[in-house]
Amino acid sequence: MNDALVIIPALNEEKTVAAVVDSILCAVPTVDIVVVSDGSTDRTAQEARAAGAFVINLSVNLGIGGAVQTGYRYAKERGYQYAIQIDADGQHDPADLPRLLEEARQGRGDMILGSRYVERTAYRSSRSRRMGMILLSTLVRLAVGYPIKDTTSGYRVVNRRIIELFSSYYPFDYPEVEVLVLLHRNHMTIHEVAVQMKERQAGVSSINVRKSIYYMVKVTLAVGLELLRKRAVEED
Amino acid sequence: MNIYILGVAFSLVFLFAVVDLMRRRVLMEQYSLLWLGMGIVILLVSMFPQWLNGIAVAVGIYYAPSLLFLIGFLFMLGTMVHLTVVLSRLTKRTVRLVQEIAILKAELADEGRTRTEDADQTRTMVALQPTENSK
Repeated sequence: MNDALVIIPALNEEKTVAAVVDSILCAVPTVDIVVVSDGSTDRTAQEARAAGAFVINLSVNLGIGGAVQTGYRYAKERGYQYAIQIDADGQHDPADLPRLLEEARQGRGDMILGSRYVERTAYRSSRSRRMGMILLSTLVRLAVGYPIKDTTSGYRVVNRRIIELFSSYYPFDYPEVEVLVLLHRNHMTIHEVAVQMKERQAGVSSINVRKSIYYMVKVTLAVGLELLRKRAVEED
Repeated sequence: MNIYILGVAFSLVFLFAVVDLMRRRVLMEQYSLLWLGMGIVILLVSMFPQWLNGIAVAVGIYYAPSLLFLIGFLFMLGTMVHLTVVLSRLTKRTVRLVQEIAILKAELADEGRTRTEDADQTRTMVALQPTENSK
C-alpha cells in the first residue's frame, strides 16, 4: 500500500475511466487509485478494475459530493496520508501530479490546488465562464481574505488533516468553491500550483444556463452560510 | 353554535386518530407532539369560542375566524419546516449508510479475490505433488 490515494468519482464513464487510471499509474506509479462509481449503469466499474484501480460501487446515486466523500472515508479508514482528486473525464493532466504531491509532502499547504490561472497555460474558456469565475474569485477572496485564482479547480492534493475533515463533512454538490471557504474556516491552508488543462475527451460538460444560475446561487449561499458558522464540522 | 359542536367532534376524532397512530407505533412520539398540540388547540378553541373572539379583538382582527386561519397557516409553516429538517437528517444518514456499505462490499470482494488466488495457488501446489490417494 502506498501513502497516497487518488479518488476518482465516475458516473457512466466507461470510455475514459481506464485511460485515466492508466495515465495516472504511468505518471505516478507510487499511488493507489480508488474509483467511486456513483451508481453507474455501464461498465465503468469493470473497466476501472481491469485498469488496476480499487473500485467502490455505490448502489444508489449519491451525487458528486457523496461519491467523493466515499473516497475520503475509505482513505481515512485505510490510513492514507494524502488524497488526490482528479477529474475522470481526462481534463486534468496526471503529468502534473508528481509536482503537486511533492508540494504536499513538503507541507506547502494542507491542500495543494492545481490551478489554470497561476501562470499562463494553454487553457482557454468562454467569456461568460470567465465572468462567472471572476465573480467567484471575488466572493472567495472576500470570504477567505486572500486571493485564490482558480476557485473552481477540482484538481487537488490534500493531507491527512483534510482527509479527516472531509470524511465528516463534504458539500453535497458543486463542492469546489465551498471547500475553499470550509478549509479556511477550519484553519487549513491552500496553496496553488499551475497545471495544464486539456479539452474534455468524452462526455458533456455538466454546465448549462439553468445549471449555471443554480450553481451561482448555491455557491453564494454556501459561502455565506459557511461564514455564519463558528467551526463547520461536527459529527452527528 | 352548531359549528362549534362540529369543531369539538372533529378535534376529538383527530386527537383519537393521532393517539391511535402512536399506539400502533406508526407515528413516532417525537413527531406526534406537534399534532397533539394542534388537536388540543382546536379542541380548546371549539369549546371556548369566546377565547378566539377575545384574542382577535386584542390583536385587532375584526373577523374572528380569520385568526383561526392565521393560526392554522402558521402551524402548517412550522410543521413543514420541521419536516424538511427531519428529511435532511434522513438524507444525511442514508448517504452515510450507502457509503459505508459500498466500502464494506468493495473490501469484502477484494478479500474474496485474494483468498481465491491463494486457494488456486495451493491447489496447483497440491496437484504438483503426488499424494497417497492418487495411486
